[in-house]
Amino acid sequence: MIGFIILAAAMIAGAIGVVAFRQPVHAALSLVATLLALAVTYVTLQAHFLAVVQVIVYGGAIMVLFLFVIMLLNVEGQEPAPHMKWLPPVAYLTALLVAAGITITAFVDRAPLPGADRIAALQGGSAEQLGTVLFSHYVLAFQLVGVLLLTGIVGAVSLAQRGATTERKERQTEEAAGERELSHG
Amino acid sequence: MMVPTPYYVALSSVLLTIGMVGVLTRRSAIMMFLSIELMLNAANLAIVAFARQWSASGAETALSGQAAVFIILAIAAAEVAVGLGILVAIFRHRVSTDVDELSEVRL
Repeated sequence: MIGFIILAAAMIAGAIGVVAFRQPVHAALSLVATLLALAVTYVTLQAHFLAVVQVIVYGGAIMVLFLFVIMLLNVEGQEPAPHMKWLPPVAYLTALLVAAGITITAFVDRAPLPGADRIAALQGGSAEQLGTVLFSHYVLAFQLVGVLLLTGIVGAVSLAQRGATTERKERQTEEAAGERELSHG
Repeated sequence: MMVPTPYYVALSSVLLTIGMVGVLTRRSAIMMFLSIELMLNAANLAIVAFARQWSASGAETALSGQAAVFIILAIAAAEVAVGLGILVAIFRHRVSTDVDELSEVRL
């Protein structure tokens, strides 16, 4: 229980940091801290393979992509104040209500944890266990996710490519116009 | 001692609502995107906690929940790649990631 409280405190502190930090880089690093604490929480929930994947995919790949884009765009911390002054208080109130509602429902409607032998049968959610289920019951979903990832890659490349080609065309027309002016002059 | 499921669900709901506040109050598209990632992870935490609870009806049922989280992770990776690509494309044209200025696709 003490471990859970420490992890929960770390995750909530990181999450508040994500929302509160003005600089996007600080917010992204704060999210990394939250995600790593979440990976440790997965270990306590008998999902060891997911914990590893969480660190590699989220803590590694996705957050590096985020930091890369933040530094590429050179986004500064100064955000203008929101147009709608009433929005933040309403957002806080809604958040409080939703969190309280879910928490109360979870505690009122709780069921006892299954026996230790049942949980031990998960074998910590190892790669072998998870892979057996994934490749026996969910092969179609697995394949479709592969297709989705491929589509995502093609989409990202085409987005980057389109911007680059239009910029090149604009530069070419500008150069052509400049040459025309030179020849006229 | 094993922590009961409601504690994890409560933690998940707190993370989800913090992410929601972030999406509602921040105006930079990147900050909103980070908050959305936080909400996605909160949902994953709830699913993993429920998966352990469902091990009462067999290890296979519990591992189905973990398989769902695995697939969500892959989808999140694709989503981030495309989303950040769109952000970079918008930034090239507008030199701004303020969502209030990006209103021309609005109906």
